[in-house]
Amino acid sequence: MAVNIGVVDQAHNPVSQLVISRLSQIKAVKLHTGTLGSERAALERGDRDAVVVLPATLGQGPLALPAYYNSGKPQESSAALGLMNAFVDQASFQYAHMQPAFTLNAQPVNSRNLSYIDFLVPGVIAMSIMQTGLFSVAFSFVAFKQQGILRRLMATPMKVSDFLLSRIVTYLMMSIVQMAILIVLGLLLYHLHFVGNVVYLVIVGFVGAAIFMAIGFSISGFARDEGAVAAIANLISFPMMFLSGVFFTLSNEPSWLQPITKLLPLTFLADALRGISLNGDTLWAVRFDLVGLAIWLAVTLFLAMRLFRWEVV
Amino acid sequence: MGIATRSEDLDLSRQTEGFAIQVEDLRKSYGNLVAVDGISFDVKDREIFGLLGPNGAGKTTTVEILEGLRQADGGRAIVAGINVLKEPQKVKGLIGVQLQASAFFDFLNLAELLEMFASFYGRQVDARALLRRVGLEEKANSRVKTLSGGQKQRFSISTALVNEPRVLFLDEPTTGLDPQARRNLWELAQSIREDGRTIVLTTHYMDEAETLCDRAAIMDRGKVIALDAPATLVQNLLAKGFRRRTAEREANLEDVFLDLTGATATWR
Repeated sequence: MAVNIGVVDQAHNPVSQLVISRLSQIKAVKLHTGTLGSERAALERGDRDAVVVLPATLGQGPLALPAYYNSGKPQESSAALGLMNAFVDQASFQYAHMQPAFTLNAQPVNSRNLSYIDFLVPGVIAMSIMQTGLFSVAFSFVAFKQQGILRRLMATPMKVSDFLLSRIVTYLMMSIVQMAILIVLGLLLYHLHFVGNVVYLVIVGFVGAAIFMAIGFSISGFARDEGAVAAIANLISFPMMFLSGVFFTLSNEPSWLQPITKLLPLTFLADALRGISLNGDTLWAVRFDLVGLAIWLAVTLFLAMRLFRWEVV
Repeated sequence: MGIATRSEDLDLSRQTEGFAIQVEDLRKSYGNLVAVDGISFDVKDREIFGLLGPNGAGKTTTVEILEGLRQADGGRAIVAGINVLKEPQKVKGLIGVQLQASAFFDFLNLAELLEMFASFYGRQVDARALLRRVGLEEKANSRVKTLSGGQKQRFSISTALVNEPRVLFLDEPTTGLDPQARRNLWELAQSIREDGRTIVLTTHYMDEAETLCDRAAIMDRGKVIALDAPATLVQNLLAKGFRRRTAEREANLEDVFLDLTGATATWR
């Protein structure tokens, strides 16, 4: 981010030219020059963060430089003014041939600099776990029932619970593959800062997958056809996608909504995955999310056992 | 006290005398609706036995009880030597089932599906040989959705044969098929019986029952109202003085259709 500083050169002398060339060398400054009228107009339009005037008497003695700033953009204008202040201080010391009493000795440090993609990837993983669990389970079981596939399988000695279990294991494997793809893509394409323990990630992913599969089984218990599945599953997943902080941080949400969204299963899942993959959290560190997920698991498993039906009612 | 012999043991000993299925006083109700109202019948070994009757007569419920898919309310049913009411899971290994709505996973080809079904019985199967048996060998690598109606039914029967069942249940196997495909299926059913298996067939086609069945039970409102060889059932009707209003012609439209399009020479 660069600050837009407008300079109005009324001196047109070597000092003012030196000031302008020094300013233009600062990386964080996007320098504009013009007349007082045009620069102030630009400031009022919001195109400048601050405007500094170099009066005609520049270089002939101590002088206060008139400066204007954009009060509507406090962050940018204070950055611009701070920059100008530092610049003016340095110039004053040089002008007075004095050594500054304090200087700053800045050392570069490699920090993590988390970006939006780092925030986004664990959220997208949580969302894909939700979609796979909800939609795959509900769609395929309603279809199996409608087409009579389940019935045909029940006519063999295979235990139906074995069939159920094999489907669940399949979906869990699919969830792992999805997680792996998303993380690898993030690392390769977006320089994802992934510092997490993969085992923790998989464990939390499994718990999340189990919750959404249980919801999927519940839906397939009472949805009559695939159209009904789509409607119900979307009704559940769509609000969660927007409320659970998958794409945006929850702090941007209205405060009355936050207590509700903090209790959604997708929120617990996304938060735990985010803590593990970005902060290197242990399972203990995300225990509150895990407790939330465990409660959801108990509730959804209970619902699934009550609602799931082997046959079309 | 004394030498009390439990009735089930008696039934099991009776089973060895050449009966594939024995049903006694079988009952099933759904709420107030009595679907099966105390029916009794026997099916002999290597018999093709027809179960006829209008929709809602209780055919499907009866068959589903015998297949171990539905729990009866009372009565007795011995299938392939197993008391179905007590051990519904055990009977499934000894019978083959072809259901009316026969869909299969569409991400597997026919050979793979047969191997999968065999695995449900803990068996290995020569999928190609089995497909050859039902005239679908060249379709081994195809998906079910690419099959014609008749081919689907024949494949469905092949899945019911993976465990070399003693009793095969066919539920309306020719509904919706063209005349040639129906005849193909009849030939298949007869050849399966010649392998030494017993077949229980439900159908709405009386010509099918007449052609295939050694004996047929006619059900109505949950009861068996007649049970005999089709020819005998017809004789009984004629003996009551029944006469068709119009004289039977020498041929009908189906004969014309088969004459023009070719009878049963090829599998379809």
